Formats: sequence, structure tokens, C-alpha cells
Amino acid sequence: MITNWLDALTERMTRGVAQRTSRRGFLGSMGATLIGGAAFPLLPVARADAAEGQPSPPTQDPGDPTTCDYWRNCSIDGYLCSCCGGTMNSCPPGTDMAPVTWIGTCRNPGDGKDYIISYNDCCGKTSCGACFCNRNERDRPIYRPGTANDYNWCVGTKSIAYHCTVTLILGVATKSP
Amino acid sequence: MRTVLLAWLMMTMGSALAADLPVDNVGKTLTLPQPYPAHWVWVQDIAFEHMLDGKMILVDPRAATLREQFKGMFNSSNIAAFAQSATRPEVYVAETFYERGNRGARTDVVTVYDKPNLRPIAEIPLTGNKRASVMPGRHALALSGDESLLMAYFFTPATSVGVMDVAKRTLVNEVTLPGCAQVYPTGKRGFSSLCANGSMVSFQLDAAGKVASTHVIERFFDVDQDALFEKPVIVNGMGYFPTFTGNMQEINLSGEYAVLGARWNLVPETERQQNWRPGGAMLTSADDAGRLYLIMHPDGKEGTHKDGGPEVWVFDVVKQTRLQRITLKTWGVSIEATRGPDPLLLVTNADMNIDVYEAKTGKHQRTLAHFGQETPIIMHAVR
Repeated sequence: MITNWLDALTERMTRGVAQRTSRRGFLGSMGATLIGGAAFPLLPVARADAAEGQPSPPTQDPGDPTTCDYWRNCSIDGYLCSCCGGTMNSCPPGTDMAPVTWIGTCRNPGDGKDYIISYNDCCGKTSCGACFCNRNERDRPIYRPGTANDYNWCVGTKSIAYHCTVTLILGVATKSP
Repeated sequence: MRTVLLAWLMMTMGSALAADLPVDNVGKTLTLPQPYPAHWVWVQDIAFEHMLDGKMILVDPRAATLREQFKGMFNSSNIAAFAQSATRPEVYVAETFYERGNRGARTDVVTVYDKPNLRPIAEIPLTGNKRASVMPGRHALALSGDESLLMAYFFTPATSVGVMDVAKRTLVNEVTLPGCAQVYPTGKRGFSSLCANGSMVSFQLDAAGKVASTHVIERFFDVDQDALFEKPVIVNGMGYFPTFTGNMQEINLSGEYAVLGARWNLVPETERQQNWRPGGAMLTSADDAGRLYLIMHPDGKEGTHKDGGPEVWVFDVVKQTRLQRITLKTWGVSIEATRGPDPLLLVTNADMNIDVYEAKTGKHQRTLAHFGQETPIIMHAVR
């Protein structure tokens, strides 16, 4: 049974074959499909520590930016630029990063700190179509734009055509949400 | 051999005796009945994977076959906003174009379509190109109570409302909003907007679209702790705004300015312990009898307010009581009730098909699928 339409929509958009039982399960399989289960920069560090029999210290920026449950994506709504020829903080070639954004406050499991994340849309081409992700922690309705992910934030760019979204760290939140 | 010859003769004679099919005329195009049957619905497909090419599809959800269900469509570009006239045979689409698809000079415009032919009959240029491009709701484009003015929500990200004279097909004013959003028609010729600090502002306009009066309801809700959904149902001038945690805030929009009404609990104690909450893309609707419909989900928490749900709850808004729980065949994302005495409840489900239920019984009737829809995340009952 489908328990979350966002998962279903993600599945539709990625045209993938996936587990439907949970967001985490589904996205985990999607990430493996898309990137072949590649290791990410800090993972070898954790492995090395584990090999020495010590508890794994928190990695600084853990997780897979091409999956929806990557920690910076806690309030994102759109396509992950890491799947679209960009990275978590760089737009794909030929697109323009919108200068105005909505923000989220996401907890980094690597260091336990809450970070202010700026979700900048990359604009000027049609929808990327890969790795759709919608999470709404601390998202609020459009009457409070600064935390509203329902807007097309291709604002202040040459074109409002929405392509994908990057996740920029603005700083550590001084007060927990 | 004689048998074969006989059969050939019979075939030849038979085809000679049957009347020929009539010659078809070239250039024939159908028109639609006026008014539309009350149970027809506009399905708005935002085409999330290629937003340039959204569409409005007019469907008959009572019909059993696709041939009878699909009545017609027109385009709606770049996450358009939609409004319908009850007094003129026309509908309105606020949309954005670029001269070369996704690039080149931008043009924001309200396109006016006629109901019988679904053809564009006029355009109202939105000078300045400030139209809000936002996931569609029912209150980004709205007619005033007297239907003389059309009002569009602007976002640059400064927020304002563009006011159009419908008869003259011109933008006549832009009302700057003090950190507020949306257009909730208020009284004869005004609107209200919800604001970032939990307040609401109302404007009444004169015949020329200029501001005649302004009124503010000071902060009455906590956006962080229990935000109002910006997607109310308005029944006989009363706005019903559900909250994230399962309360209902009434706001009377029938007078010159918004007046705060009752606040009541949507979730009985038993279900509250299971964290049942409202949620969805377009989670509210109401029928002509004033029954209010709301998508609900269990295990709600911070961040689940757009998840949709497995049930629709039906409320009597006068008695402030729940009438019914409808268990959905497939997880629901958006809903709309049809007009008329025997309403249908339409549910955009998680598969992006549309389930049709008899609203009074909750009985599933059929699923609308394969009618060219991709992401039909909002529906509008015809007016």
C-alpha cells in the first residue's frame, strides 16, 4: 500500500522500481539505482575508524546528497541538483542560481548541530526530472515566504523556468528550532 | 465450387444493398453545453516535469467511459492560477510566457477563455510581470464578490495584489501587501490576505479598483506552533481555515472586512492521541449543502502537513461536528466536491489518478485515469 504520495510521485518522476513501504526505504533504493551505491567522501573515514574497533566519530557532512533523506534536504521541494549535473551547492551547467530563497533549519547528524540551509533554485531550463524530493520540516504556508517551499523560487533570475534546487549552508543556527 | 460462387454472390449483393456511410464534413468542432452540468470539474494539471505546458482539463466524473469523461481542455502555462465567473460565460488563467519557450522576453497575462468553446477570447496584460509562480491553490486569482474586479496575487518576492477591471480587460491598480499573501474575496468588492506574523489584512476597493478602506485583524495565530493552512473553504461568505494540528478557525469574509469567528476542534480526543491531522496538497472542499471535507492522516508531526492521507473527514460546520469518515481506496492528496444536490467527492490519489466517490455514502464509484493527466494536483468544481 502506498503510504505517502510524495514517495509515489517521486517514483513516477524517476520512473524507478522501488520499495513503496516507506520514504526511507524507497529513497534508499532510488539512491542505489541512480549512483550504484557509490561511497561518499566521509564514509571511508568512518570505515577506517570502525576497523580500529573504535566507535565511529560523527562525520562532518554525512549522507548521500542524491537521496531525499540527506540531512540538508529537510525542507526541500523539488529536484536535487546533485542528480542534474550539479552538486548540493552548485547549479548544473547553463542554469542560473536564484539569489533569493526559502530557508530551512536542519540538524546535521554528523555534528549534532542545527544549520540554516538556503534552498536556492537553479533556473532557466525546464524541470530536471531526476531525484524529486519533498520534505516539509518547518515549512510554513506561503504567507510566510521565507520558510515556504511552495513558491517557485526562480525569482530575480532571467527566467522563472525551474530546473533543480541546491542546499547551501548559511551558518549554524544560534537557537534550536 | 457452386457453394463458393454462391457465397461470393451474396457478399457482393449484400454490400451493394447496404447504404453507404455519409461523407464527413471537414472542419467540424464541438461546443460545450451552457451552463455546464453542475457535477463537471476542471482538473488542473501543472505538468510538474515540464511546467511550461500545464493544462486545464474539463471532465464529467459521472460518466463511465473516457469518451464521455473528457469534455475538453486548454493550456495553462508555468503553474498558472485559475478562476471562474458565475455571471459571465468565461474563465480566467493567470500565466507566464517567454517568447522562446523558457527564455526571451517574459509576458505575464490573464487569458480569458469562453466556456462554450474553450478558446482564448481576451488577454489582460499583467504589466510588470509580477505574477506569483506558486503551487496552485484556489486563492491566487479571484473575482470580487460583485465580479467587477479580478485580483491576482503577485510575488517578486515583495507581495502585492494586481487589480483588474474585468469588463475593460485592464490592470487598474496594484495593492501593496504588508508581508501578506493570497486573495480571499471579502464583501462586495474587496479581499483579505493572511500575513507572516499571524495577522490578516482586509481591503475594500472602489469601482475603479482603488483602495477605499483597510482593516487589520491583529496577530491571532502562531505560525510556528499551529499555522493556519492558507487553503480555506469559503461557504456562504464564511472562511474555514484548518490548522496544522487539527483545529478550525472561522473568519467571516462576507462584510467589508474580515471578522474573526469561532475556533473549534476538528479531532476528537481518541484520534488526537493517534495524532490525526489535516494534510495534503489541496486538502479542503465543501459541497452546496455546506458539508466540509478535509483530508486527514494519522501519526502527524512537524512536516507532515502536505503528506495527504488515508481518510476524508466530513464536517457539519454549523454544528461544528464530524459527520462521517470516508476511508479512501487509495491514499489521497487533493480533494474537490462537485456542485449540485448529489455531490461527488473527487480525490487526486497518490498514483496521480482521480478516484470518484459518492459523497454522501463514501462509496467508491470509479477511477479516472489515462486521460492525459500527469500531476493533476488541484481540481475546481465548475461554477
